[in-house]
Amino acid sequence: MANLLYAGAQAPQTQQKPKSKRVSSKWAAHALTFLMVFGPGLIVMEADNDAGAVSTYVEAGARYGTRLLWLLLLLLPISYFVQEMVVRLGIATGEGHAAMIYRRFGKWWGRFSLADLLLVNFLTLVTEFAAIALAVEKLGVPPVWGVPIAAVALTALALTGSYRRWERIVLFLCLLDLAWFAIAFRMAPPAGEVVRRTILPLAPVAGLTASWLFLVIAIVGTTIAPWQLFFQQSCIADKRLRFSDLRWARLDTCIGAVFTILVAGCMMLVGAAGFHRHWDFTDPAGMAVQLGVVFGPIVKNAILLLMINAAVLGTTAISLSSAWAYGEVRGWAHSLQKPVREAPGFYAVYALCVMAAAAVVLIPRAPLQLIILSVQVLAGLMLPSAIIFLQLLLSDRELLGERLVNRTWNNVVNWTIVVLLFALSLLLAAQVAAPRLFPNE
Amino acid sequence: MYVDFDRKEQKARTMFHVVHPLDDAPEEKVDLDALGPMRMTATVRVCLLALRGYLLLMFGLLGFRVLQLAGFIRG
Repeated sequence: MANLLYAGAQAPQTQQKPKSKRVSSKWAAHALTFLMVFGPGLIVMEADNDAGAVSTYVEAGARYGTRLLWLLLLLLPISYFVQEMVVRLGIATGEGHAAMIYRRFGKWWGRFSLADLLLVNFLTLVTEFAAIALAVEKLGVPPVWGVPIAAVALTALALTGSYRRWERIVLFLCLLDLAWFAIAFRMAPPAGEVVRRTILPLAPVAGLTASWLFLVIAIVGTTIAPWQLFFQQSCIADKRLRFSDLRWARLDTCIGAVFTILVAGCMMLVGAAGFHRHWDFTDPAGMAVQLGVVFGPIVKNAILLLMINAAVLGTTAISLSSAWAYGEVRGWAHSLQKPVREAPGFYAVYALCVMAAAAVVLIPRAPLQLIILSVQVLAGLMLPSAIIFLQLLLSDRELLGERLVNRTWNNVVNWTIVVLLFALSLLLAAQVAAPRLFPNE
Repeated sequence: MYVDFDRKEQKARTMFHVVHPLDDAPEEKVDLDALGPMRMTATVRVCLLALRGYLLLMFGLLGFRVLQLAGFIRG
């Protein structure tokens, strides 16, 4: 059913009229439709600025100043193009990505993709809670209290039985990230340098080193992550977006991509404040404490709270991507619209992901920065395979029909992205196989 | 009066009803069960084969790298 109806149009007598809002102009109808569709695109993009991303971007700024800003500009269209494909797939099929791989490529690839997703997601969740532990400790709250409270709150967030309630709360959390702009502005970065280094790629001062390459792959891995494909498609299916919503879902994704890259740039600028002062980078919480000495406790506390917010956003989105994917493959009921008693398996997977990751963080003392970077790299390595599945699905005329199937230019862009990602992965492989290929700093 | 009535009626006719996706009637989507598995064309076969090779290589190398960084293997 189209989402815009003239009042004069009568629905068939047998159908119940859907609940609707009346507006008097076409412009208002479009604006309202956009607001109703808005959500999955911004959430998937902003949740990608999770604790690992905060750490990676701040580290990039702390080690290389503004010299890696250009990479974010390059990743903006890539992240949009990749997620836009998922939007088309989700709207056309009303099914999640895991179900799609399972049904179109068979059980082997379906189970492999699911196992990969669950593994990387779980490791990523551990890093989210590790970041929460680190941040609450610096705020004066013992992690043994802070982490379980966060885990319980995150579980409660999804158990309300209302997609809309979950979406509104998460959108509010996304908008809290606007505070990164204020913090970056407070660091007073030289505007000319920021613009110049965003537009013009700059080689690293010490040449192509192993740590520079590792960080570049980590940035790519954190900006475009495999869970995002699964999350947005399932989210669109759960929200039951219609064919007529496609352009608004694309706009939502585009806004999300731009906002997320701008926030990521701000994180890099915050890190760059440490670079200019020649501070040694250990982790973003440590950097927040150092910045607090110079810029005051408000800046310190704001960065620590934003770290927690990033981890919370990442945790709910990543856990949901696991729960949706598992539910789709197992054929369980899997919707945030359903109460717990109607979708117990789906909510159990979500709660298990959150609680287990929180428990892992409370047991050992793992080297946080190493785990975070390794997870981002693992995600970066998995991404080419996820994109290949996506590309094959989007080129499938049987599945999408003439209207939604990839055009030639789509294929050129996507294969360019695949080649770029493979090239980065192969560079990493070369570095691992021959450690002296690239010098250490 | 007649003109006013006419305008009101005209305005009522041009009112737009906007329905939230979750409140709308379910839309007919692609029937995946009817479609079945993807046709294994040469392109699809080559892509999947390359993917298997890539994944084997990368996971092996990544495991090696992680063990190296953790200090279990001397590089």
